[in-house]
Amino acid sequence: VANFYFLIIFLVQLMIDTPTSPITSGLPLFFVITVTAIKQGYEDWLRHNSDNEVNGAPVYVVRSGGLVKTRSKNIRVGDIVRIAKDEIFPADLVLLSSDRLDGSCHVTTASLDGETNLKVCTCICIMLLWVSKCFWVVVTFSFDQRRKKFVKSLKLLKIINFLKEIILFCFAGVAIYTGMETKMALNYKSKSQKRSAVEKSMNTFLIIYLIILISEAIISTILKYTWEAEEKWDEPWYNQKTEHQRNSSKVFYGILRFISDFLAFLVLYNFIIPISLYVTVEMQKFLGSFFIGWDLDLYHEESGQKAQVNTSDLNEELGQVEYVFTDKTGTLTENEMQFRECSINGIKYQEINGRLNIIFLQIKEHNLFFKAVSLCHTVQISNVQTDGIGDGPWQSNFAPSQLEYYASSPDEKALVEAAARIGIVFVGNSEETMEVKTLGKLERYKLLHILEFDSDRRRMSVIVQAPSGEKLLFAKGAESSILPKCVGGEIEKTRIHVDEFALKGLRTLCMAYKQLTSKEYEEIDRRLFEARTALQQREEKLADVFQFIEKDLILLGATAVEDRLQDRVRETIEALRMAGIKVWVLTGDKHETAVSVSLSCGHFHRTMNILELINQKSDSELFSLWIITEDHVIQHGLVVDGTSLSLALREHEKLFMEVCRNCSAVLCCRMAPLQKAKVIRLIKISPEKPITLAVGDGANDVSMIQEAHVGIGIMGKEGRQAARNSDYAIARFKFLSKLLFVHGHYYYIRIATLVQYFFYKNVCFITPQFLYQFYCLFSQQTLYDSVYLTLYNICFTSLPILIYSLLEQHIDPHVLQSKPTLYRDISKNRQLSIKTFLYWTILGFSHAFIFFFGSYFLIGKDISLLGNGQMFGNWTFGTLVFTVMVITVTVKMALETHFWTWINHLVTWGSIVFYFIFSLFYGGILWPFLGSQNMYFVFIQLLSSGSAWFAIIIMVVTCLFLDIVKKVFDRQLHPTNTEKAQVTIFYIQYLFKLKVCNSE
Amino acid sequence: MKRISEDYQSRLPDNTALKQQQLPAYRLQLSATGVLSGFFAAGAFCLGMGIILILSAKSIKEIEVKYTKICANCAELREDATNFDKECTCSIPFYLSETMKGNVYMYYKLYGFYQNLYQYILSRSNSQLLGTDLKDVGNCAPFSNSHDGTPIAPCGAIANSIFNDTIILSYNLNSSIPIEVPMLKSKITWWTDKYVKFQNPSSINLSSAFAGTTKPPYWSKPVYELDEEDPGNNGFLNDDFIVWMRTAAFPTFKKLYRRLNRIQYFIEGLPAGNYSLLIFDFPVTRFKGEKSVVLSTLTWSGGSSLFLGLAYTVTGAVTWLAAFSMMAIHLMLKKKKMLFIQD
Repeated sequence: VANFYFLIIFLVQLMIDTPTSPITSGLPLFFVITVTAIKQGYEDWLRHNSDNEVNGAPVYVVRSGGLVKTRSKNIRVGDIVRIAKDEIFPADLVLLSSDRLDGSCHVTTASLDGETNLKVCTCICIMLLWVSKCFWVVVTFSFDQRRKKFVKSLKLLKIINFLKEIILFCFAGVAIYTGMETKMALNYKSKSQKRSAVEKSMNTFLIIYLIILISEAIISTILKYTWEAEEKWDEPWYNQKTEHQRNSSKVFYGILRFISDFLAFLVLYNFIIPISLYVTVEMQKFLGSFFIGWDLDLYHEESGQKAQVNTSDLNEELGQVEYVFTDKTGTLTENEMQFRECSINGIKYQEINGRLNIIFLQIKEHNLFFKAVSLCHTVQISNVQTDGIGDGPWQSNFAPSQLEYYASSPDEKALVEAAARIGIVFVGNSEETMEVKTLGKLERYKLLHILEFDSDRRRMSVIVQAPSGEKLLFAKGAESSILPKCVGGEIEKTRIHVDEFALKGLRTLCMAYKQLTSKEYEEIDRRLFEARTALQQREEKLADVFQFIEKDLILLGATAVEDRLQDRVRETIEALRMAGIKVWVLTGDKHETAVSVSLSCGHFHRTMNILELINQKSDSELFSLWIITEDHVIQHGLVVDGTSLSLALREHEKLFMEVCRNCSAVLCCRMAPLQKAKVIRLIKISPEKPITLAVGDGANDVSMIQEAHVGIGIMGKEGRQAARNSDYAIARFKFLSKLLFVHGHYYYIRIATLVQYFFYKNVCFITPQFLYQFYCLFSQQTLYDSVYLTLYNICFTSLPILIYSLLEQHIDPHVLQSKPTLYRDISKNRQLSIKTFLYWTILGFSHAFIFFFGSYFLIGKDISLLGNGQMFGNWTFGTLVFTVMVITVTVKMALETHFWTWINHLVTWGSIVFYFIFSLFYGGILWPFLGSQNMYFVFIQLLSSGSAWFAIIIMVVTCLFLDIVKKVFDRQLHPTNTEKAQVTIFYIQYLFKLKVCNSE
Repeated sequence: MKRISEDYQSRLPDNTALKQQQLPAYRLQLSATGVLSGFFAAGAFCLGMGIILILSAKSIKEIEVKYTKICANCAELREDATNFDKECTCSIPFYLSETMKGNVYMYYKLYGFYQNLYQYILSRSNSQLLGTDLKDVGNCAPFSNSHDGTPIAPCGAIANSIFNDTIILSYNLNSSIPIEVPMLKSKITWWTDKYVKFQNPSSINLSSAFAGTTKPPYWSKPVYELDEEDPGNNGFLNDDFIVWMRTAAFPTFKKLYRRLNRIQYFIEGLPAGNYSLLIFDFPVTRFKGEKSVVLSTLTWSGGSSLFLGLAYTVTGAVTWLAAFSMMAIHLMLKKKKMLFIQD
């Protein structure tokens, strides 16, 4: 949009007779477009390379009866693709056969949903032939019409998606979706463009400046015609009009001339809207964002992951956050489950230092419980280590702790590991058996059926045949789904224990079993087979069968698994709160667990009055809550669950928001992903329009990450989905404090100063030009030479601000991190408020007045500045103004800089020196290709005058004097916290030095 | 395993000062004493400079003689185009009360003459003035060609409107015989203008060099007759011409006309006494401005006005004022702090 404006200015310059040559604005435009093009081109090139890598990967395809090697981009729908072990799927495939006997294979879907565990895909052999025929037909049908049904019926097999890594020897599949139709491609959401608050206020400023520009042009045009209306100024004898101009004095041409005059003034003043602002901001963001990735403090050693920046547009938004929404599992916690306690047959046991306080004898007693734990799961053992299973000596040496388990849920893994520690070790499943070493004795269980976990049942079960021949069903699941199904066992005691576990913030699971007679088993087997092979309503039928099987269970006990809190979560949350940021925890977990985790991570305090809004069906309680929260003496914490929340949001949005704002901590549990996003949207559109930040690690947090102003992904165990969709990805929650308080703070200060300074320096630049029109009858004469006009923003004043905006650190980073309250100083976009904007603008105008009138009183009147009596002309006057301006504007930047590295010194003083050298050079030669030789020796003559030097010094001093005085008084009288912190640091250093001196 | 650890290694960010934002740097810390002493020093410097500049400006003697009204009848005469060639002189007597010591410079000063109009400044041809291409009159509209199409040399509005009054200063030593004050025409232009930027076209003599061109419409004589006595001051090299071609920044401006030749009575400068100006007129009424002659001495830094000195003095004073008030506030706050600590 901005470039369009500059293009128009450029075209206007080409069309009409304007005081500045088209090159003057064409060159910067060209420069800007080149820089942007190079940046975009570079990014495109990188993307292109990685695309090529994927598209060009070799694959083997069955074509015309033989195996043909081709490139992955050439795969068509219906191709039969052969994939070897450890290869990546080039398209969505249906498994046709594998080299295993049972036609199964293990795949990971890490690139799709981030789950790194192995999944079993089986092609049901009986149906293979039929299936392939069937889908041949489907595939050749139109996708769009049939897709729904197609996908549904495919569930019967399992779709193995594009880019799943396969751990298998060989695999043949038929491609069903390719290219943009693959599941992976469908998952690409076009990310909505996020714009930062700074960018928004920048646009407001731009509009203000546009108004200033247009009004200046209008004033100039009107005044020009008022002058001309007076006859004596219309056409002085020494400046007669040309024939062309004379002809155009008719009415029609008059209007045309009026417009063209207006446009000419517009062109003359157009520099007030700085074209280079966009380039500089772009470069600052692009280069500045590297610092996050480079930061060693944001590097997580255990996982070897550094922070990752996915968009550089939002850097400064990190300094503006008012609300933090965080996921619980994997974000606040490690998502690394640790078995803690269990309750077996109504007796509670605890694990301490890796040992369950259970005596040996009891293990026998509770044999069944631990067997259930080690059998009822879908854990895989890492292929590499199970290779040797069956080789006697090797196996006996195998220490249980060295077994590497891969599980789709970390809970399962923790449980299996715990059982292994007790002495009941799951050593592997091969084909249809599961091998368990019970206290050193190997037992083989024949795996008959797995009733997979699903979120509706919230349980899973396995049916195994024990070595003794009896058939057993083990079930495992949430207490709410197991307990009602139980008919035997210590149900009441277990329930009490489960509640106790939940209060401690542990995740609980219940185990139950059932013995099956062979008659029962036969029926189950038959019904299961029927259901599994059903073509219609397969899911419903399966659910029915599962319902039938999992009943009349006998309760074995319950397990409690701890999800360990991440490092320094409490401190981070505390710091966020001190910084004036409201923290909301949004989790899918159960209410009790969520509350206890909140308490342990410091989100809720013990002293807090915790209000609950749970299972709410009516609105009366909300009102009473509101009345309670009006009491500001104590802090309130609010717990809401998903159903009450949706009710509250649907009917009493405002009241609910009011309550939430009064609470210092809010916890939402049982939230669906979309509900999380909805909460954020509500906060976003509330009247204060706060800046929100969402942190999450799993695929279920993606919608909330995308909804919030800033989305942060935790690169955790639940894969990369969140990290990929986020704006910034970090390895641990604790890094958030450095990201916000240090990086965010810096970026904000930097970009705010950058924007303000840019407007300031262009006001300084163009206002003398405007003032000069009053002295030249609005004839559009430029004050500066066109080369200076062009280079002012490109060369003379561009680098110091760019370097400043990359390197500035107004306070030591350690101070920023240890004093989160400093973050409040920049909240609400304070550095870009109308007040500061006005200050900078007025400063710009006053400086411009000083440059112009200072020079005017110096040489404008009639004074010779040279010792030999010779006089200066208009170009010298302009150059004097320009010189003062370049120096003042650069030194003003120096005043803003707190952090002087050698680079700052180089560019600041280098810019001034460069200006002098350039001017000497430019004025020292009669340039053959330039039409005008206006500047010939002008600069050198100027510098040969003593008065000019004195004038330059006094004008620079006067300009900066005002600013310095204001700064000093502000600091003394109402220092901000930031400034206080700067002073204290200084004093601490000073005192330290004194001490050192004294001790010596 | 080894591959993984290498992989980790490569992902570890470099621990360089730049990347960790830990470049060695000096943090600008404004301590009260530092700022105050800086202010006092700056204030002292400004005050000192101001006083020096004011004193040097005071030492300058300057006299301005306006002659628009006195020479009005001449101007009226010129209004009538038929009287174009008629000589008209007017003489303005004035009294110099003090001797002007040292070098004295004579300027002419115009009021309300806009040499800074956009079209006006454009209307010149640098390549013509360089003597390289006499026919290049591209930018010179509306004074590029005469009616019959011959190019004008020097072309353009600036050259056309040259100040062509002749001013002669004479000194009445003892009220009877006026002595013409000896004046120098040289060194009134920038050296580079005279020797680089302006060049006559090369030829045997000037009039043939300018063959094929015509004089600007307002000129009474062609460019090669500007100074027939001194070939180094003729044609485009004429000092008065070059001075005029350096356009002034503001509508009221002064241009150097002559320098005092310090011989005979005038070795010391211009002695006090009665003088008169003899002026051959220039059509000034048409732009309704005013004209005057300025005689002035200069210092090492030029004819500085009081402005610079005043600016320095005022700035110095204000700086001290600010410094004192800052000191007061600082001490007050310090006392408060002390009390606070004692409490």
